[in-house]
Amino acid sequence: MPSLTYRLRRANLNRIESILALALIFGVIASMTDVLIGDRGLNTVYMGTVVDIFLRGMYLSLYITTASFALGLGIGFLVGWIRTTRTVPFKRLLRDFRLTSADASSHASSQYLLFGLSIVWTGLKYVVRRIMDGYVEIMRGTPLFVQIFFVWSIFIVFLTRMPERDLLAVLLAMTINTGGYQGEIFRGGLQTVHSGQVEAARALGLSRWRAMRYVVLPQTLRLITPPLTNEYIGLLKASALAFYFGVQELTYYAKQEAFSGHVFEAFILTSALYLIVTFTLAKVITMIERRYRIPGLGIQQAPAAGKLSRKETAASG
Amino acid sequence: MIRVEDIHKHFGALHVLRGITLDIARGEVVVVVGPSGSGKSTLLRCVNLLVEPDEGRVFIDGVHVNTPDIRPEWVRQQVGMVFQSFNLFTHLTAVQNVTLGLIRVKGTDKDAAEKRGKELLARVGLAAKADAYPAELSGGQQQRVAIARALAMDPKAMLFDEPTSALDPEYIREVLDVMTALAREGMTMIVVSHEMGFARGVASRIVFLDEGKVLEEGPPEEVFAHPKNERTRAFFSKILR
Repeated sequence: MPSLTYRLRRANLNRIESILALALIFGVIASMTDVLIGDRGLNTVYMGTVVDIFLRGMYLSLYITTASFALGLGIGFLVGWIRTTRTVPFKRLLRDFRLTSADASSHASSQYLLFGLSIVWTGLKYVVRRIMDGYVEIMRGTPLFVQIFFVWSIFIVFLTRMPERDLLAVLLAMTINTGGYQGEIFRGGLQTVHSGQVEAARALGLSRWRAMRYVVLPQTLRLITPPLTNEYIGLLKASALAFYFGVQELTYYAKQEAFSGHVFEAFILTSALYLIVTFTLAKVITMIERRYRIPGLGIQQAPAAGKLSRKETAASG
Repeated sequence: MIRVEDIHKHFGALHVLRGITLDIARGEVVVVVGPSGSGKSTLLRCVNLLVEPDEGRVFIDGVHVNTPDIRPEWVRQQVGMVFQSFNLFTHLTAVQNVTLGLIRVKGTDKDAAEKRGKELLARVGLAAKADAYPAELSGGQQQRVAIARALAMDPKAMLFDEPTSALDPEYIREVLDVMTALAREGMTMIVVSHEMGFARGVASRIVFLDEGKVLEEGPPEEVFAHPKNERTRAFFSKILR
């Protein structure tokens, strides 16, 4: 067990480390800019005048990203959950039917109805699960740019006169994209939670949904916070693609201003804005994670917990 | 109190339970022994329907429970269960583990549940550990919290699935003590365990299971001293020292 002072020192070191790293990055960027455009000089006055509209663009970028991310969270949870459920094999349904119908032969017609329903239900679950598998594969396997184009084309052709058409098209495309990715994150997270946890919850009399809500999900969310943060940051950067479809987010203004002759100023300002957001977000999430950390859950395990989980695997094997 | 009637269970091609009939009276403590793979855990799980038997009937307090008319969640509130690997909810403290069922299943309000939770933790000797997370507890402590968690639902009977076999030797005693106290208070218990001292001292009946069938059953003195069946004798000669 590392001592408290050691851990404190370690935390301080991390803080100093990250400040140093940031300083270094800005240093490198600054000197590179100097080498590249030193004799031209950066027009800081100009940068000051455009920062306002850039911030407005940033606001829209954040809006698109956050909205699609939040919607994707719901989709991701459902997709992940469905993809982890097991379906009853057809053979077992048939056998159960034989057993129950032997039990109460007098209610033959209602038995057949029940059997028919259970087959339809199982078939439906199977089909839905396969569709989810396909959905995730398509989202992962094709470029987001192409996906946005696809959705946008549908909007162009069928919803020509819709207000905010381009924005909505991009938003929808990004939502289904991140939904697929988050589905995969949720699937991994849900599968990491030990099956004994569900069994214990069910043994207490919790329904399937409540076991999910009060036992599995709280653990899953803690486990998948880092990959979800990654996904959000990735999505924010990907939202830059929206400029191509006329959505006036940060990159849109960057391009516009760059074409007005201030190439370096525009892109430096844009990069800085993106970086400030992603960096702050990552730090805030890490803080939250540390605040809500639970011993024995996730990767930052205390040594005592490590010993326990080894014993557990030995016992269940 | 609990009756299983000719239950069968298959896992794929494996025929795990081959027609088991057992009658457990109120206040009885039945210890189930048998070689690994004999179906002991499956039998326990059939009682609270964590595993649904393929054939046969399960009765709790005279109510036929493995029918579509009865919600398995209701059955599980009647019968508490303690697992080999404790399965405490990792993200909850000891007292939260105990109160989860009260709050989310029984709808008890938070304060009352917490009060009851602390009482139960005190009963298993862990009043001081109420706010500790499972990873901060020893195996024996975790298992005692698990017992308190099951007791919180006021079960009519308790199932123990090898409650001490995942424990380091120094922690076995404290768990068995809690179980013994529970038995003395008149709790109906089915215990899968190879703790022969516990079986001898507390069990009203030993059931020997092999290949999914009950080979022998009777009071501990009788089964241990004069096993009638050859396989029972061979098994006991291996585990009794």
